[in-house]
Amino acid sequence: MIRIENLEKVYKTEEVETTALNGINLHVKEGEFVSIMGPSGCGKSTLLNVMGLLDKPESGSYKFIDTELLTLNDRERSNFRKRNMGFVFQNFNLIDELTVFENIELPLIYNKIPTAERKKLVNEIIERMNIVNRSGHFPQQLSGGQQQRVAVARALVTKPKLVLADEPTGNLDSSHGNEVMELLCELNETGTTIVMVTHSSHDASFSNRIINLKDGHVISEKINKSRNEELI
Amino acid sequence: MRNLWKNKGFSLINIGGLAIGLASCMILLLYVVYEFGYDKQYKNYKSTYIAYTNMKANGKTFSWAWTPGLLSQELKENVTGVSNSARSSYPISLLIGNGENKLKNKGMFVDPAYLKIFDFDFIDGTSDNILQNINTVILTKSLAKKLFGNHSSINKIVKLDNLEPLKVEAVIDDIPQNSSLTFDYLMPWKLYEKRETWTKKQGWGSNFCLTVVQLQNSNTLAQVNTSIKDLFHRMDKDQENELFLHPLSKWHLYGDFENGKSVGGKISQLKIFLLLAICILLIACVNFMNLSTSRSEKRAKEVGVRKAIGSSRKSLISQFILESTLLSFIGTVVAFILLEISLPYFNNLLNINLIIQYNDWRYWLTLICLILFTGLIAGSYPAFYLSSFEPVKVLKGFSIKAGSAFSVRKVLVVFQFVFASCLIVCTSVIYQQLNYIKNKPLGYNSNGLVQLSAEGNLKNLQKINLLRERLVKAGAVTNVSTLSMSLSNGGNNTSGISWPGKNPNTSVLFNNRAIGYDFVETIGAKMVEGRSISKQFEKDSNSVIFNEAGIKAMGMKNPIGKKIKWDTGENVIVGVMKDFVIDNPFQKVEPMILYSAFKDNVSVILLKLNPSANVTASLSKIDEIVKEINPDYPIDREFVNQSFEQKFENEKLLGTLSNWFGGFAIFISCLGLLGLALFMAEQRKKEISIRKVLGASTGNILTLLNKDFIKLVAIANVIAFPLAYVIINQWLSAFEYRVAISFLPFSLAIVISVLIAILTVSIQSIKVAKANPIDALKYE
Ligand SMILES: Nc1ncnc2c1ncn2[C@@H]1O[C@H](COP(=O)(O)OP(=O)(O)OP(=O)(O)O)[C@@H](O)[C@H]1O
Ligand SMILES: [Mg+2]
Repeated sequence: MIRIENLEKVYKTEEVETTALNGINLHVKEGEFVSIMGPSGCGKSTLLNVMGLLDKPESGSYKFIDTELLTLNDRERSNFRKRNMGFVFQNFNLIDELTVFENIELPLIYNKIPTAERKKLVNEIIERMNIVNRSGHFPQQLSGGQQQRVAVARALVTKPKLVLADEPTGNLDSSHGNEVMELLCELNETGTTIVMVTHSSHDASFSNRIINLKDGHVISEKINKSRNEELI
Repeated sequence: MRNLWKNKGFSLINIGGLAIGLASCMILLLYVVYEFGYDKQYKNYKSTYIAYTNMKANGKTFSWAWTPGLLSQELKENVTGVSNSARSSYPISLLIGNGENKLKNKGMFVDPAYLKIFDFDFIDGTSDNILQNINTVILTKSLAKKLFGNHSSINKIVKLDNLEPLKVEAVIDDIPQNSSLTFDYLMPWKLYEKRETWTKKQGWGSNFCLTVVQLQNSNTLAQVNTSIKDLFHRMDKDQENELFLHPLSKWHLYGDFENGKSVGGKISQLKIFLLLAICILLIACVNFMNLSTSRSEKRAKEVGVRKAIGSSRKSLISQFILESTLLSFIGTVVAFILLEISLPYFNNLLNINLIIQYNDWRYWLTLICLILFTGLIAGSYPAFYLSSFEPVKVLKGFSIKAGSAFSVRKVLVVFQFVFASCLIVCTSVIYQQLNYIKNKPLGYNSNGLVQLSAEGNLKNLQKINLLRERLVKAGAVTNVSTLSMSLSNGGNNTSGISWPGKNPNTSVLFNNRAIGYDFVETIGAKMVEGRSISKQFEKDSNSVIFNEAGIKAMGMKNPIGKKIKWDTGENVIVGVMKDFVIDNPFQKVEPMILYSAFKDNVSVILLKLNPSANVTASLSKIDEIVKEINPDYPIDREFVNQSFEQKFENEKLLGTLSNWFGGFAIFISCLGLLGLALFMAEQRKKEISIRKVLGASTGNILTLLNKDFIKLVAIANVIAFPLAYVIINQWLSAFEYRVAISFLPFSLAIVISVLIAILTVSIQSIKVAKANPIDALKYE
């Protein structure tokens, strides 16, 4: 589904130029669960942001199914993103002023889904995420794990083809972390493609394939056999 | 210091707003001080009074500063408490010349005592034994210079009206501009009596001069006023008019009377300006506070760290106060530059001469108070607010969502916009009213109507006829007529008209004017019935015309051919004219009687320009012919519509000033809004980024950010409307003819204020809305 070729991204600041991505090639099949690992500063988040159309690379090509995404203009990128992609961040990035329900509803509003259907979709996902009794709470009133579940719910509510997760468990303890990982696995099983950045090999073990980055290069790829067998 | 420089944009907005506010405030204050200084240049101004006559007629009381010529002497000799009194004429424009150097300038005829009451600044000569001789004159410095150049003028002879030789007895300094009495030269009252012989014979019922009175003690005013109230009646049983003294110091600002009592006047306009000045200053301060606070909030972390490492609260406060004082000082300096730059323009606009009194200590005192006030108000809030942060809270993750600071700031913005929207409403109603009055039909056609002042030969009816023939023949004009008073001035009136069926106990006041042939045709007025006075009817000497208001006041049916009595003579009504406006366009048309001009009761000649001829050509033709017929006088002509335009000066001034300063106030408010938007956008950066990641477009984000501000502006409008309504209704109530207050000004205020808010907020937040969301989300 995703074909990334020769992706290059350079950050220029006043003092230094950092090559964050240095000729990345990456293919992701539909329904795949891919983990990206690597040392800090190797370009994982950058790669994810580029894949999420949140950042523009200097050169390379990024095909999603058959569409070349890098030539889109801002508005098209934004439209493509909100229809096809969901995001989960390490620091949850919920809006503090909005309730759980409203937070989850937000992407639907931007996708111009009618109110009644919105209600239905949000309630469905809230039930699935097991946070029904929290729907009127504000993010600050939830535990980290609960917040991340809300964030996942928000990423999923639009039924995106691709979910991008940047260290979704980074701020959570292991039991909460596991909850979130299980959620992602369930999601993957229903056919959603997931690309996840993680530092934890435990988390990575939930995925089909692990990609190792270093200094903006893909240095190795590992198929996770156990998971794949499960899948098949 | 480094901080100021680091936030250049911020500092610029901050200083700019403050400077504009201060400069506007100072200009307005200068103007207010100027107006308050009216007539206060004289040493004895506190004990000097103007005699006013109250006259009941047409069901109301008219109050005016016209008195009988006999009054002054009576007051001086027989009223206790009065120490001095003098008569004067109103300023009259007359020709005064040194040989062939002739100028038309304003002169006044005064009793010698006049120069004791007002301590004019004598450059040459003294106030003793002056104007005793009938052929004498006192010149002001600038007139003396115009007539005699740099030569001394003392004891030289000037000629009045090409007729009267007058010896220059003294030269006085020019009369300050903010003086109600403006003249270029003073002549003895005796000369007036000689020129206008009728004045000598007038009794207690004839009001033709101004009487200035000096009291021994200003505390006795009430007593004196009680004792002189019925003075006219005591002197002459037939007189019902009442007399009172009005302080000189209130003459200019409290010139309106109702039922014989002072009810203010220009002072209300001045109060509006004073309010405007204070409000602009407040707005500027609010702005300063707003901007400083939001800017410093960005530095909250710094404050937290500083406090954590042991910086005391006191040193923090002084650091912030120092910073804001520095800013306000720079603001003041810039304000001065702005002031100096704009004063000439402002003076030109108001046709006055305001200057900054650099060598007056009161000026500096006011200025220092202003700066201290501004500095304190503007600087203290952010300083105390910020320094009171708990370091732990700040460092832990600083968030001021619905925090107190933010709501205070919201209140401030609401305050600013209440003011802005009030101003928009008021300004547009003032504008509507001005237009309404201007476009109110005059009852005649002032286009192409020229008034020529009748002097010298042109006072002679034969010569006027000659002028008419020649001008018409030359094709410059289509009609010529005369009037005993300029169309744009007030003039004589009489209550001595009686008609069959008149109630002897009521008094009806008629304006009376002498008109020449074809008057109605010349000014393009309409007859309701009957005929105008024309050459065809040689024996028109006792024919009169009334205006509709006059007929209505008499309650007369079928007036044509009816006889009326005027003083001793009997007149026949030959026509009724449609009402037309003379003198005061703001008031209802008063009853008027028009009669045929005889002998010398011509003061202006009315010329209707030929509409099919070129105006410039016609005018030069007129000038040429007039000069031929009346060679001794400079040509003095004006377009009637132009001189009418001057009637609106006060209202225009109010309109212009509220436009300008309202504009400034709105501009400063915008700066404040900008600051708040800046802060808000900064504050919500993360939220905005999240929303963008979730698919919000730039439009979505702008709507989001604007929504809050529009809410504030809406609240401001809701508060402003009743306020504006009360203010403007108050202002309008002074007009007899006034526009109905419509929705238009209010909708205008909404549209403008919302538009301004959206623009300001969007300009600022578009940057944030367009920014790459990931930058804000990356690092916490
Ligand atoms: N906005 C930016 N400006 C300049 N340099 C940047 C910017 N964002 C990232 N970089 C640099 O790009 C490189 C890759 O950053 P990236 O955030 O992708 O690393 P990462 O692999 O996600 O690290 P971590 O595991 O710590 O999250 C780093 O060297 C970083 O310093
Ligand atoms: Mg990262």
